[in-house]
Amino acid sequence: MPLSPIISLSGVTKLYSGFRALDDVSLEIEPGITGLLGPNGSGKSTLIKSLLGLVRNHQGTGTVLGLQWPGEVRDIRDRVGYLPEDDCYIAGLTGIESVAFMANLSGLPKTEGLRRAHEMTDFCDIGEEKYRSVETYSTGMRQKLKFAQALVHDPPILILDEPTTGLDPDQRDAMLRRIRTLAQDHGKSILLSTHILPDVKSVCDQVVILARGKVRVHDTMENLSKPAEPTLNVMIYGQKDAFLIGLNKAGYNVTAQADGALKITGTGVDQVGGVWAIAASTETSIRRLAPAQNSLEEIFFQAVSRSEHP
Amino acid sequence: MPVHDLGYRKWVGKRNHQLIRALFVARSGITLIWRRRMLKFLLIIAWLPIAIPAIGIFGFEQGLTNETYRRTIVQALRGPMERPDLALQMLQDPISIRHEVWSTLILGFFRVPQLYSMVLLVGLIAPLLISYDLRSKAYLQYFSRPLSPNEYIVGKSAVIWFFLGMITTLPGLTLYLLGVLLSSDISVVGMTWDIPLRILLASVALIIPTTALAISYSACTVENRYASFAWFATWIMGSVAYQILTNAPRMGRGRRNRIDMDFDTERWLLVSPYHTLGKVETWIFGLNTGESSVWPAIVILLAITVIGTLFVRNRLIARLSV
Repeated sequence: MPLSPIISLSGVTKLYSGFRALDDVSLEIEPGITGLLGPNGSGKSTLIKSLLGLVRNHQGTGTVLGLQWPGEVRDIRDRVGYLPEDDCYIAGLTGIESVAFMANLSGLPKTEGLRRAHEMTDFCDIGEEKYRSVETYSTGMRQKLKFAQALVHDPPILILDEPTTGLDPDQRDAMLRRIRTLAQDHGKSILLSTHILPDVKSVCDQVVILARGKVRVHDTMENLSKPAEPTLNVMIYGQKDAFLIGLNKAGYNVTAQADGALKITGTGVDQVGGVWAIAASTETSIRRLAPAQNSLEEIFFQAVSRSEHP
Repeated sequence: MPVHDLGYRKWVGKRNHQLIRALFVARSGITLIWRRRMLKFLLIIAWLPIAIPAIGIFGFEQGLTNETYRRTIVQALRGPMERPDLALQMLQDPISIRHEVWSTLILGFFRVPQLYSMVLLVGLIAPLLISYDLRSKAYLQYFSRPLSPNEYIVGKSAVIWFFLGMITTLPGLTLYLLGVLLSSDISVVGMTWDIPLRILLASVALIIPTTALAISYSACTVENRYASFAWFATWIMGSVAYQILTNAPRMGRGRRNRIDMDFDTERWLLVSPYHTLGKVETWIFGLNTGESSVWPAIVILLAITVIGTLFVRNRLIARLSV
């Protein structure tokens, strides 16, 4: 049964002095983690800011968690946690104060806000640094602080704009782990805008690719990974000539890849037995055999190039 | 690492009403400003001049029954206070001028020490309020919460209102209370009951437009020193311009080739915020405002408030749209 969308937009258009930052964007985002991809200037940040009512004078309608957008944008902001891409902070406050302040602005009472701020700074591994002024924080620390601020009012939706920017590999892994935990164990829906494709691949359930203000791709990771026709990737030991001849004789369509692997198209999992049989008959040792998947990089570049050469 | 990590936990509770969230903006601003040692020092200094009008009120009240005090007050009214009319009445029927003397002393307190303190205090704190948020892009954090630009402006303005209230309204009311306590006659309350209300009104006239002007300067730039410069320049240049324009005819008198110009000093008063405020405050305290109407000054103050607030609002919205 399809899940009801958490965000549903229809015909969203935003013009900046004649330039179409968003061009008739219509989207239905389901619960889970959604990757929002696109090259620079594709309209990702404009879409996010429009959702939060930060950008005005746009066309289009929609709903967010059943609330009318943009009519009920104030209530929407109460239910959304936003991690901005920009390096933004309230000068003069300590880490814990700035998280508690955000909690208060989202309606948490003073004491509750402070208690919750301590919980979130611990969850985001900010540690004792939370008592330092945010102006002295490194970029990575500020990312973690912004994440704690986005979470402090326990919103059902999180919009994270480049959350792993400026994090070292360990911290990046930890951040992605937190994102997964929030989605899987706590039922949060997350819109993850990033340039880092491996991040999307590792955590996202669905992907939206924007280019030139339009939605070019919108599907689940599972569907996007599937090749157009069933394909197997095979790596073998030693000479592959005999194996190739055997496959061709059996009617398989085989192409050799740059990394030495063989891509056998038109083969489903049910035909794996035939490939094993040919390998046995040609005395070829198979090192690896797996269903081929489309890479996200390929999908991304295709979508972007289609937008540039429509 | 925390001693005991609870992981992520849901939060269930009742949220505050959206309308009171601007108070948190104000509270946060006040907390931040309060940490500045210089400000605490300035607040203490700003309270010291209260002694002068307090002594004046005490002297007047004593002068009602004591001849020595009366003579001193008469001299003060003829001399530094430039009110010979009151000096005459002080000798004939001192009770009848009680309200006017009190108002004059409290107005003097508002006009001279407190206005200078206000200019200094606002010049120190207001430029930080919005320019810092623009520089550190904090507006993204504010407005991704259920907070409108208007509430943000109210919250930021309330920081200045609070501190200005501490150096104008509060000492003004304290001064009145001191006057009542120092008076030997309780009927003084019946005769001066409206003065606290006038103090509140004068505070509003002083605080609201100056705050709007100060935060509009703060919203102009990400460099708070430019906003400070513009603020002080407005007061200094305004007063200097007013002095030059009103003194020009007098200085030209007697010279051979002087240009005859019909200067209306009351009209030029509007170039100086200090004198514009003075006109309105004098009117609020019910004292002689001269022949010209107070309305041009009130209109100017209202225009500063409305234009300043709209300007800040537009600056914020423009920033968000980038």
